[in-house]
Amino acid sequence: MQRIIQVLWPSFIAAGVMDIVLFTLLDPVALIYQDAPLFTTRLGAYSLGFFLFWLFGTVSSALTCYFQCSTAQLNKICKSSEPKN
Amino acid sequence: MAEAGQKKVINIAASTEMEQTLYAVKQKVYPRAVSGWFASWRVALVLFTQLLYYGLPWLSWDGRQAILFDLAQRKFYILGLVFWPQDFIYLTGLLVIAAFSLFLFTAIAGRLWCGFACPQTVYTELFLWIERKIEGDRRKQMKLDRQAWNIEKIGKKTAKHSAWLVLALWTGFTFVGYFTPIKELAISFAHWTLGPWETFWIFFYGFATYGNAGFMREQVCKYMCPYARFQSVMFDSDTLTVTYDPSRGEPRGPRSKSTDRHTAGLGDCVDCSICVQVCPTDIDIRNGLQYECIGCAACIDGCDQVMAKMGYPRGLIRYTTENVIKGKYPDRSILAHVLRPRTLIYSVLLLAIVATLGMALINRVPLRVDAIRDRIAARETADGHIENVYRLQIINMQNKPHRYAISVTGLPGIKLGDASSLAEVAALGTHDAVVHVQIDPSEIRARSSPVEFKIQSLDNPELTKTVRSTFLNR
Repeated sequence: MQRIIQVLWPSFIAAGVMDIVLFTLLDPVALIYQDAPLFTTRLGAYSLGFFLFWLFGTVSSALTCYFQCSTAQLNKICKSSEPKN
Repeated sequence: MAEAGQKKVINIAASTEMEQTLYAVKQKVYPRAVSGWFASWRVALVLFTQLLYYGLPWLSWDGRQAILFDLAQRKFYILGLVFWPQDFIYLTGLLVIAAFSLFLFTAIAGRLWCGFACPQTVYTELFLWIERKIEGDRRKQMKLDRQAWNIEKIGKKTAKHSAWLVLALWTGFTFVGYFTPIKELAISFAHWTLGPWETFWIFFYGFATYGNAGFMREQVCKYMCPYARFQSVMFDSDTLTVTYDPSRGEPRGPRSKSTDRHTAGLGDCVDCSICVQVCPTDIDIRNGLQYECIGCAACIDGCDQVMAKMGYPRGLIRYTTENVIKGKYPDRSILAHVLRPRTLIYSVLLLAIVATLGMALINRVPLRVDAIRDRIAARETADGHIENVYRLQIINMQNKPHRYAISVTGLPGIKLGDASSLAEVAALGTHDAVVHVQIDPSEIRARSSPVEFKIQSLDNPELTKTVRSTFLNR
């Protein structure tokens, strides 16, 4: 549980910042995909964008956690990212 | 109070449950209520910030919400001003000002923000207040948590969580009310016809408030807050922090009020543990400055009461600096040490940014124009002129309609074609003006020449923008 939060929380902060920056520069209802508008409501676009960024951030943080495992730990099953002596 | 405090020393570790929380194994902290100078300031700031927070979205200005960050319309209303996404630079400036203010008063007086104004502290205070009203003081709360479930416990817990949830939902509702008009939101809420995203964010923010202020509390500061981790870079030996004076307090130890501490070889600290009991982050300030300390000064209030009861001078725990504790200068010289290179640099930078932003705001012209030349190449008109066609996108960023005169300069004899010199744009509207620019062929030699459009409001000549483009020869 602790590790899940460790992954989710920083990605949450990053997603918030990313969402604000992107949608300040870009109006989501102006986005056209294959001749049709991509979003009908702006609030929906902001929210979906936020969750998408959160997902990407989560994947990135989770991979960081995952790659922290040493080869020795990987040979067993990686249980903890804490440095082992 | 001091005697009572001494009797109340309880072996906390043995008496409270350990709980596996989201971040770390922790003991539940039951901060003891405290009163005093700093506690009053905190209450005042809680009231002030929350009146502001809950009240602001209900204020009106010119028949609309005074403070509204209308995300759906991509416009921010702040009193008489309307900001567009193109004005993002002002928001950036505001954030930089906020950051430097934080640096400045952290360098001067430590974590004032954390202890008195941070929403995490403020909502935790509110939730603690509700908890105390319903469950009683610290001892009663601990007893209630230890005892088996019965009608009384179920009743109190239900009442507490209901009150928390109502406050949390109201907080979530207010939060969303800053981003979508709050009066309409209230009507939709009452009729339960909220849009899916509004509903989601009200409950999401409400749930976060409930969780953060009701359960996670000091854990947010200890494990989730990035600021708490890097605050030490803004501290120096002249920074005011909540500090225990060991030279005065040690050797600590219990004693009766009649004991002469000097003959008994004791310091001023009576080891009553009040400072630990009132601490919302459950640390012992007597161990020195710790990153868990949010600078709330509850221990100062607590200790001062004990000192008063004992007839000792106040300020065994007080706001003071590392250098005072080291004996480099007395407390009364603290003010003279506030001015030092670090604080001067922060102040100068802060003033410079405030002045720049203020000037930029005063000189801000709520009009924006973009010129795009028609892709069709230059053509010749019936009367032998060369003509280029442009599309001028005029954005009226003000909350009232304007008529604008358009003119063009840059080449001798350059002029606008018919019906090209006037544009009407609605309040907060965007208008695409198609502009025909003509010139006599004898006046132009180069393949392309720079031209400049000037757009000026007829009712307010200060509303003027110029925009550049190029004029193509045949």
